[in-house]
Amino acid sequence: MSDRKLPRLLQTPAVLLLLVWMLIPLGMTLYFSFIRYVLNSLRRPEWTSPSLSNWRGFGNYEFVLKSKDFLLAIQNSLFIVCSILFLTVILGVLIAVLINKTFPGQGIVRVLLISPFFVMPAVNAVLWINMILDPVLGLQGIAVAGINEIMDGLRQMPVLGGFFSLWPEFEPVSFRATQTSAIAVIMMVTWQWTPFAVLIFMTSLQSEDQQQKEAAVLDGASTWSQFRFLTLPHLGRPIAIVVMIQAIFHLSLYAEIEIVSRGNGNKNLPYLIGEFANNNIGAASATGIFAVILANIVAIFLLRMVGKTLME
Amino acid sequence: MAIVAQSSKFSTYGRPVLAWAVGLLFFFPIFWMVLTSFKTDADAVKPEFLFFFTPTLENYLNMTENYDYWRFARNSVISAVSATAFTLVVGVPAAYAMAFNPSRATKDVLMWMLSTKMLPAAAVLYPMIFLAKGVGLYDTHILVITVLCLINLPIAIWMLFTYFKEIPKDIIEAGKMDGVNTWGEIKEILVPLAWGGIASTALLVFIFCWNEAYWTVRLTTIDAATLSKLIEGNRAPEGLFFGRLSAVSTAAVGPIVVLGWFCQKQLVQGLTFGAVK
Repeated sequence: MSDRKLPRLLQTPAVLLLLVWMLIPLGMTLYFSFIRYVLNSLRRPEWTSPSLSNWRGFGNYEFVLKSKDFLLAIQNSLFIVCSILFLTVILGVLIAVLINKTFPGQGIVRVLLISPFFVMPAVNAVLWINMILDPVLGLQGIAVAGINEIMDGLRQMPVLGGFFSLWPEFEPVSFRATQTSAIAVIMMVTWQWTPFAVLIFMTSLQSEDQQQKEAAVLDGASTWSQFRFLTLPHLGRPIAIVVMIQAIFHLSLYAEIEIVSRGNGNKNLPYLIGEFANNNIGAASATGIFAVILANIVAIFLLRMVGKTLME
Repeated sequence: MAIVAQSSKFSTYGRPVLAWAVGLLFFFPIFWMVLTSFKTDADAVKPEFLFFFTPTLENYLNMTENYDYWRFARNSVISAVSATAFTLVVGVPAAYAMAFNPSRATKDVLMWMLSTKMLPAAAVLYPMIFLAKGVGLYDTHILVITVLCLINLPIAIWMLFTYFKEIPKDIIEAGKMDGVNTWGEIKEILVPLAWGGIASTALLVFIFCWNEAYWTVRLTTIDAATLSKLIEGNRAPEGLFFGRLSAVSTAAVGPIVVLGWFCQKQLVQGLTFGAVK
């Protein structure tokens, strides 16, 4: 019947566009990953343009697997994504439950809360690493210096001074260092995406069955068990959706990594690809194929999780 | 009953105080950025001028005079508006087809679309630049708009689909009885009914387009460069230029944050991704 066919045809532009968008670059990446291809080479100028005669087989893949940063990059990718997911979901649920009931100024608090979500990721990173977390000029540095000054004052006190002298001086933390740079990234992305989780959970809480809750209160259920047995199960679906959307975005995190420490200590797969791509396109493409594989593994888990509930 | 009494005491005093504290805490970095943008670079790093200082517009004047802020801003508006419109033109019919005339493959098609979003941009960046330069589209609005549309299309279709799915099929069918054709159905029945979801999708896509920094920075040099490129160019000197940095940042995120505030209710209504039953 023609009046069923036309409506179905309406999805073809979208499908075709995405198919081209996926297949052409992916095909080229695959091709580049099997040839020697560098941007600059005085010694081997023939490698500077892509050609089948520069075939390298799995050489690029071997090179990437042997490079010392590869495993580190996979670890960092997963560590950063999982930490952000964990923190945003916990904070998101707590805050959504907190602001779900009416209180004076609820509208304003909601506006304040969701603002970070609108901030450009690059601005977010610049703002946090310089003006807030910098160990000398940022608020962290200023706060630590202030506390140390107060402590110095307390040490001068006649009797209690001896007690305060036992306390150590506080040291500001540098968030550009190898050990801490991933923490800085997690902190700033959590700040930005918790509002998103709050928004989705809040919408979902508004559809919670209030009669059921009232019945639970009459039965003497504690606030905790109400939360545990009514609210939390109700939030299962939105949590799955928040996890999925964020995983999509955070697996390709780049700006924050670059701005915080240029990959020192927090290098993830996209950043490693970027580093290779400064000259060695072959290796960058091979890393890209690894990244596609990793994304697909994550995607299979996530899509199973959300896909089941999606079509209900 | 002690628990009920306790929780009501929490509701009167604890909840508002805690909620306000959380709200202010989350907003503080933005407030701090705006405040610092009115300090000179020298004052911005002095602890004695933390909250009390002589405000100056120097940073903003410097930005509009030396960095050509308005050109970047205009490019951002052009690309974000066009990409959002383009996304809706392609996305609404697709979501309509999937929601009201689903086939057995619909779920898989939708899942596949979302999975294209997981393709790491870094993996396909180089081929894209290669192609764009090859066909002479590098650093043009057309390229930026197309890329922005493609990276947001999966999320937009999903969001629209979950919204459309909640609309009773009978209403659409009734239109069919009245002899309305497919375009009429979309235009006269679907769009007015699903206005909330469409507006909310448009907003989210617009926000993502405005804030996109990976592709827009790497596919442009001057002509089509957006505000993310301006940030990219100004973030390099570390430390001493907090005033200038804050002014550029405030000017880049200001429009979108204010838009977000005004459309907050609209965004909340549609941003369910089918999470609400």
